[in-house]
Amino acid sequence: MDDHGSGVLRQLLEMAPHSVVDTHARLGDATAVVAPEALVDVMRGLRDAEGLEFDMLTDVTAVDHLGREPRFDMVYHLYSTIRNHRLRIKAGVPEAPGEIDTLVEVWPSANWMEREVWDMYGIRFRGHPDLRRLLLYDEFEGHPLRKDYPKERRQPLVGPRN
Amino acid sequence: MASEPHLLTERTRDTAEDDLERDLHTEHQVLNMGPSHPATHGTVKFLIELDGESIVDLDIQVGYLHRGFEKECESGSWYQAIPYTDRLNYNSAILCNIGYCMAVEKLLELETPIRCQWIRVMAGELSRLGDHLTRCGAACLELQAMTPFLYAIEARELTWDLQEMLCGARVTSNMVRIGGVKHDVPPAFPPAAREFIPKIRKLLGDFDDVVTQNRIFIDRLRGTGVISKEDCIRYAVTGPVLRSTGVPLDLRKDEPYLVYDQVDFDVPVGEVGDNYDRYLVCVEEMHQSLRIVEQCLDKLDQMGPGPVNVDDPRVRWPAKGRVFNQMEELIQQFKAVTEGPIVPEGEAYCAVESANGELGFYLVSDGGAVPYKVRCRPPSLINLQPLPLMVRGAMLPDLIPSFDFINMIGGECDR
Amino acid sequence: MTARVVKVKRHEKLGWLERLYVPMIVKGLWVTSRYFFKNLGGYLRGNPQTFVVQWPEEQVDYPDAFRGMPVLVQLDNGQPRCVACGLCEFACPTDCISIVPGELEGAGIERYPEAFDIDMSRCMFCGLCEEACPEEAIVMSRNVEVAAFDRATMVFDKDALMVPEPLLKRRLEFLRGEYDREHAPVAKARD
Repeated sequence: MDDHGSGVLRQLLEMAPHSVVDTHARLGDATAVVAPEALVDVMRGLRDAEGLEFDMLTDVTAVDHLGREPRFDMVYHLYSTIRNHRLRIKAGVPEAPGEIDTLVEVWPSANWMEREVWDMYGIRFRGHPDLRRLLLYDEFEGHPLRKDYPKERRQPLVGPRN
Repeated sequence: MASEPHLLTERTRDTAEDDLERDLHTEHQVLNMGPSHPATHGTVKFLIELDGESIVDLDIQVGYLHRGFEKECESGSWYQAIPYTDRLNYNSAILCNIGYCMAVEKLLELETPIRCQWIRVMAGELSRLGDHLTRCGAACLELQAMTPFLYAIEARELTWDLQEMLCGARVTSNMVRIGGVKHDVPPAFPPAAREFIPKIRKLLGDFDDVVTQNRIFIDRLRGTGVISKEDCIRYAVTGPVLRSTGVPLDLRKDEPYLVYDQVDFDVPVGEVGDNYDRYLVCVEEMHQSLRIVEQCLDKLDQMGPGPVNVDDPRVRWPAKGRVFNQMEELIQQFKAVTEGPIVPEGEAYCAVESANGELGFYLVSDGGAVPYKVRCRPPSLINLQPLPLMVRGAMLPDLIPSFDFINMIGGECDR
Repeated sequence: MTARVVKVKRHEKLGWLERLYVPMIVKGLWVTSRYFFKNLGGYLRGNPQTFVVQWPEEQVDYPDAFRGMPVLVQLDNGQPRCVACGLCEFACPTDCISIVPGELEGAGIERYPEAFDIDMSRCMFCGLCEEACPEEAIVMSRNVEVAAFDRATMVFDKDALMVPEPLLKRRLEFLRGEYDREHAPVAKARD
């Protein structure tokens, strides 16, 4: 695995050589694809390792690659307030069962952002303390940011079009 | 937005206390506050578990302003998402414009002309000023102080007048374009800005005179809504809330984008991390924003007229004078409008320092004319998450200033 | 030029006078009454300095760059300048424009819009139609007062949208100021 000249990626590869599936540093964003089983361990390592110290989980989101296997990519953006560097971690999530481990234990900021991903993409987080919909309401059917969710679809509790 | 209020925690009691409480009939009470409450600026619902007047626990339900921004962006061209970004944080629309356009430019590996960058910085700082004025003014209003609110809103009107002169609209500016800005600074703008800046300073001074050393105001803010540095970082809180705890994290300083490395400004930090620090940090940031606007005006004067857009017909539409007169440019205009920019396959995350914190855009392109994925990292939503930490154990009225100085903007929080 | 970190000054210790609210009451009264007497003096001299505008009785002058509702430029012969090319339809993010093109025999212009409707209840005055137009035919006017009692009346047809060219002079002059601005050559951020 290549570190593409990025010091962060090099340290990540030294720390967890077998968990990293792929790396790239296109457009200056260091990115590593991690095996989903090892996600929590890698993340904990990234948070605690000397020289990396990613103390802030800036963003959690998912991308739906409809027709690809695995269908979803979880995308995490990490930032270190101490070292002032960034890293993007991706992990594939297959459509069935559509589950991945939660990161709430590592960074509490993951709580709401994972709820949002569940809301929008229908990815379940194993071990999440409070997996409810965040932005939409409970009666909402489906997960709107999936690529197979039609934009024009009407929902229960939404009035007729006038 | 779940309807399940599963807040009432199970309590284990000592028997003596148990007997006493049974006699006194004390039990926790759940209070619904919002979604449309006069003391919160923002559409959000709080489920508050109260013990008397102290807050035991708090559940925040957001999403009342959800309108599918990210889904909507996936159906239009890259440039058609720009007016929608105005509606994210409607107090500082230009900063959202800048964030989105810079993310697309990062995907296109495009560098904007220097004059355009100065215009962006100036417009963005005006917008930040308006946002902070709203935050401080509305917080005063919700703490029952009407007069300082009026001074803050008058100053905000002046910044919005300037934005109107610059962009053509007060709130939904739609100023920034991929690879440039819509138009150069209109000739009427610089003199008006130089006239208005002292007025804004004076209004800020009056605001300061009425509020900052007022004992009632200090009593309401000092020591309320305290959050520690470590908690802020664990919860990914950014912006003035993080800086009030003493962490000097400002992306304008730490990852200078545009021309922020060429302007002179201070990053104010607090020490305690309570609402009073947040208020002082915001007030100081307003003065710094005014300083940056003045520097930009000087620089733009000194630079003289110049190009503000890149000459790449697929990205930025050709100059109108050429479109009217030359066949080649007319065809390019047709292609550019009907197809929009073709963005190479890839992904990019670009973060700017908005008025509330780190505003990030994560874009994925599949190499086509339509965004594959647009993700906005909303600082309002993420800063709101540790609110229960700030107010747990505090009195119910302390919730109001704590919520106000987080400055949740519904449009950005719920997207 | 760098960014420096400064610590804000907290007003930590209140003196006994401040704890009695006295200085701030005096200061607050001084600030507010200054405004009061300034406004009163303005009224007495017939030159009020108040900030509030009593709209709609009083109107403000919008700046040159102001974007109101989009309108069609009407030429002297009563016809729109529009050639029904449909670029504004493409550029519109909210799909509020609908055009039915027609062909005209004989005259210098061959295409014209048979129907041109804008749904003002969807329009967000973003100005992308004006920027896309290759004919200077659709421009943002200075009119923002388009409220109505039902949605059907919010759909403006061609006749309702047409405005004679002299009335749009200020906007057109503002736009023409930008026409000849050259674009900068492309610089790649990274090789």
